[in-house]
Amino acid sequence: MRFKFTAKVAMRSIAALTIAGLAGLGLSACSSSSQGTAGSATSGTINWWGWTPTNSDEAKQFIAEFNKEYPKIKVNFKLIGISDYQAAMRPALASNGGPDVYDLQPGPYVQQFGSYAEDLTAVTAKALGSDWKSKIAAVAVDGLTSKGKLTALPIGSSYAGSLWYNTELFSQYNLKAPTTLDEWKQVCDTFKKNGVGCFAQGVSQEGFDQDTLQSITNSVEPGYWTKASKGDAKWDSPQIVEALGIWKKLFDDGIMQEGALGAQQYPDINNAFLTGKYAMVMMGSWYTQYATEAAMTQSIGAAGVAGAMPFAILPIHFPDVAGKGNKSEMFGDADYGLAVASKSKHRAAAETFVRWMATSAKGQQVVADRLDTTPVLAGVVPDFSSIKFVDSALQTDPVNAYLKGTSTISEPRFALLNADLENAFLAAAQSVGSGSATPQQAAATLQQAADAAKAANG
Amino acid sequence: MFEVRSRRSKVLLQLLATALVLPYLFPLIAMVQGSFAGAGWGNYQAVIAVPGFFQFFLNSAIIAAGVIVLVYVVTMLAAYGFAKLHIRFREVYFWMLLACLTLPEVVLLTPLFTTTQAIGLYNTYWAVILPLAALQVPFAVLLTRNFINGLPEEMFEAARVDGASSLRGFLYLVIPLTRPIAAAVLIFTLIGAWNDYLMPLVFLQSQDMQTITLVPQFFVGEFSNDQTKILASAVLTAIPEIVAYLCLQGLFERGLSAGAIK
Amino acid sequence: MTVAHPVTGAVGSSSRPRRRLQAPGLPWILPALVLGGGLIYYCIGYTGFLSTLNWDGASPDPQSVGLRNYTNLANDRLFWSALLHTALFFVVTFVLQTTIGVIFAVIMHSRIKLAVVYKVIIFVPVVLAPAIMAPVFRQIFAADGQFNWVLDHLGLGFLAQPWIGQESTALPVIMSITIWQWTGLTFVLYYAAMSQIDQSLIEAARIDGAGNIRTLVSIIWPELRGTTIALGILSAIGALKTFDIPWLVTVGGPNNSTQFLGTYIYQMTIQLAHVGYGAALSIVLLVIALVMAILLQVAARERAPRD
Repeated sequence: MRFKFTAKVAMRSIAALTIAGLAGLGLSACSSSSQGTAGSATSGTINWWGWTPTNSDEAKQFIAEFNKEYPKIKVNFKLIGISDYQAAMRPALASNGGPDVYDLQPGPYVQQFGSYAEDLTAVTAKALGSDWKSKIAAVAVDGLTSKGKLTALPIGSSYAGSLWYNTELFSQYNLKAPTTLDEWKQVCDTFKKNGVGCFAQGVSQEGFDQDTLQSITNSVEPGYWTKASKGDAKWDSPQIVEALGIWKKLFDDGIMQEGALGAQQYPDINNAFLTGKYAMVMMGSWYTQYATEAAMTQSIGAAGVAGAMPFAILPIHFPDVAGKGNKSEMFGDADYGLAVASKSKHRAAAETFVRWMATSAKGQQVVADRLDTTPVLAGVVPDFSSIKFVDSALQTDPVNAYLKGTSTISEPRFALLNADLENAFLAAAQSVGSGSATPQQAAATLQQAADAAKAANG
Repeated sequence: MFEVRSRRSKVLLQLLATALVLPYLFPLIAMVQGSFAGAGWGNYQAVIAVPGFFQFFLNSAIIAAGVIVLVYVVTMLAAYGFAKLHIRFREVYFWMLLACLTLPEVVLLTPLFTTTQAIGLYNTYWAVILPLAALQVPFAVLLTRNFINGLPEEMFEAARVDGASSLRGFLYLVIPLTRPIAAAVLIFTLIGAWNDYLMPLVFLQSQDMQTITLVPQFFVGEFSNDQTKILASAVLTAIPEIVAYLCLQGLFERGLSAGAIK
Repeated sequence: MTVAHPVTGAVGSSSRPRRRLQAPGLPWILPALVLGGGLIYYCIGYTGFLSTLNWDGASPDPQSVGLRNYTNLANDRLFWSALLHTALFFVVTFVLQTTIGVIFAVIMHSRIKLAVVYKVIIFVPVVLAPAIMAPVFRQIFAADGQFNWVLDHLGLGFLAQPWIGQESTALPVIMSITIWQWTGLTFVLYYAAMSQIDQSLIEAARIDGAGNIRTLVSIIWPELRGTTIALGILSAIGALKTFDIPWLVTVGGPNNSTQFLGTYIYQMTIQLAHVGYGAALSIVLLVIALVMAILLQVAARERAPRD
């Protein structure tokens, strides 16, 4: 039978599509957004959606501790993996059936989902007084503030720009942690000669490339990365070109592991490091949890090794790769914050929960003791008497100093970025790493992308 | 189909089949191996210990069953209609149906979310069953229509001669004849519905309605990623589908010999 | 498409016009159209509307930009390279899947031992969700993974390389994984189609002295035309929609060397929140898919003996 496509049929099809389209438009316009209600502040059921905390024990622990103070508020936690978070949250938040409390992270998430959250400034001021800003880590608060609105209260922070290394492998070959690029190369040469991997970082995804690039740039000129992220300096500049050149050197000198371009930080790199295949990793303050015996043993098991023997890890500053004597400062912001949806029907109860998690000493202590994020409330430190390191003698002091050092960090990590810019970082890192672009070309492309992103996102 | 008389040819054919199948076996072995790494059977224990695991299993089964029934009924009617009956602009409708195949699932999320909320289907099984069925129907219709087209005309002549109406011809003739392709459609629909992940994630709100595909999430952390348990849950998720295929394999073969033409 | 039966002599072609049962068919196809069409056309319409916006999916005031998304699209280098990857992917995977599927189906129809085992092995990959297999494959193709290990042990160690870490080999890896995953589908369908082939045809050919290969090429293969066309259309559409494997295994990289239309749409819509541009890409995908399907069907018709 011949395929008859007469004009009449064409018109009918177009008409059908148009009607469908208009119906769609109508329906979406018709679903008016409701304005939530406050409800009671001490009782009710609230739904909390987030990508973290991820293991159900952690979430249960938070909620159990919370219920000790507020037994009448029931909290239901729904885990949405971070890779699906945007896909799942957007329709949910746009509708009237979304969560009461949801996770937010500085950067793109705040931009994309912050508009659905209510401003938590008043809640925080009520809880901590008018000088509340001095009681919560400033960089964490800034990251979650968008256009003057505090979209979420930070719960814990994470800081990057450090390396962690396997002390056993280093002592086995009588090596010291490197402090310059040359030392780093020598360390790697020794490891290679002995068939051990040296340094690993997952280059296939944006976040950790950005960490390394920011660290390198901090070594070239402290604070330049932040300036450029704000738009006060150019990406197409000698500083960034130098940083990208050093990045390339990591590949050329054999410091960056083979196949880095295809590796993902989680699970590939993490598993490789925990099973002793590599001696150093690009990880930040969240890695402190693996300094403990319990977490490390469990993770080695998760990496597929039976009968795991944990080893002691220690953090070090990012080496002075530019050779200019600059200390490559760490940077970071809120790992996540909790936002209260303005459409929530139990706003008051939701605010109670969020307030407890972020501003109460008890809530923050629970956060601190997990060791995967740093508490944001001033004066709260992990209770080390209950935490067991793999090698207390070796690890206690350096780890304590490391964590104390994070309280003075002022440079943000994700807060100033938008999704397009992050995508551009990935492109720059990969193109230079694979050799398909020179640092100059990559820097120029990065500048173009930054300009376009600024124009698109305002 | 191939005639292999000599012993040598038989062995060669067997070797060829084995050589072809080995690359397919290899990743499966890697997967099972990976699921036993680390804690061994403990991984499977941990997966089953996930709170609500059996409820998730049940939910997946309910949704899959709903999708299969819906798709089967709709497809058989439509494929017969497209293949054998007189419809004006038949080809246009067919192409319109085929166009539905092209949409990536992710694009469906926003409009569907608003609609299911507006109609009040949100957080019910129907919010997942309907879109999944809609996504499977074009594929199934395409396959079944071709199959029916391939059936010899004589069968339908026989029905007409007997004075059977269209519906009776359909029920007593076409349905049994299409058993092989129906088995195939059932398998693919089952797989599509059982493995789907995005729809249950977005449209099922309460924890006790989640499906089994969400179980791996419990082991993916922000700072951790427990591959061994993810693989264990993958193996557990796959077993019902494999079992279904094995069972239907028999139906396949029996259906063929029962519906023999000569 | 009717078959000439050498045994009964009934020919459903030039001597007798092919008649259709005269009952009205519209009610039969209506459920499918309503379910499949209604639901999805509503979404297509909505997507079409979205493609005229510059919107991030959340802010309450999307701005209408008419067809600007489409003009941007035409100038987007990444879009064209994604299209190229998709096209290449389709051709390679379709040809290989069809070849292996047909050969396997034929072998399984012949008498070999333990046929069930083989059938299960080749079909199990179809059953496994890509999201589950992605980490396994990332492990297999890693620089220290099982694939290089096997190469080493076969004496081909010099070929060992970081397969997913290189632009040149990343796309072939994605193709291999896809072929592994979907050959089972082609196998099952060809197996079903072959079961429909009249045994007498094959016997007649044998009596005429045709060998196995000759039978395969001249008798069996043409009988599979319907299935092949259907699979071709499905493969084309599937290639256009491909998302899971390239996203989970290589995340479109390294350096966008495994960026497909499906992954590009996801990146634009979900990650970068350019919902309007993503919608425009989706509409373009839909148009391409339809055109391809029509072309395939028309080309098939022209080569088949018409009734």
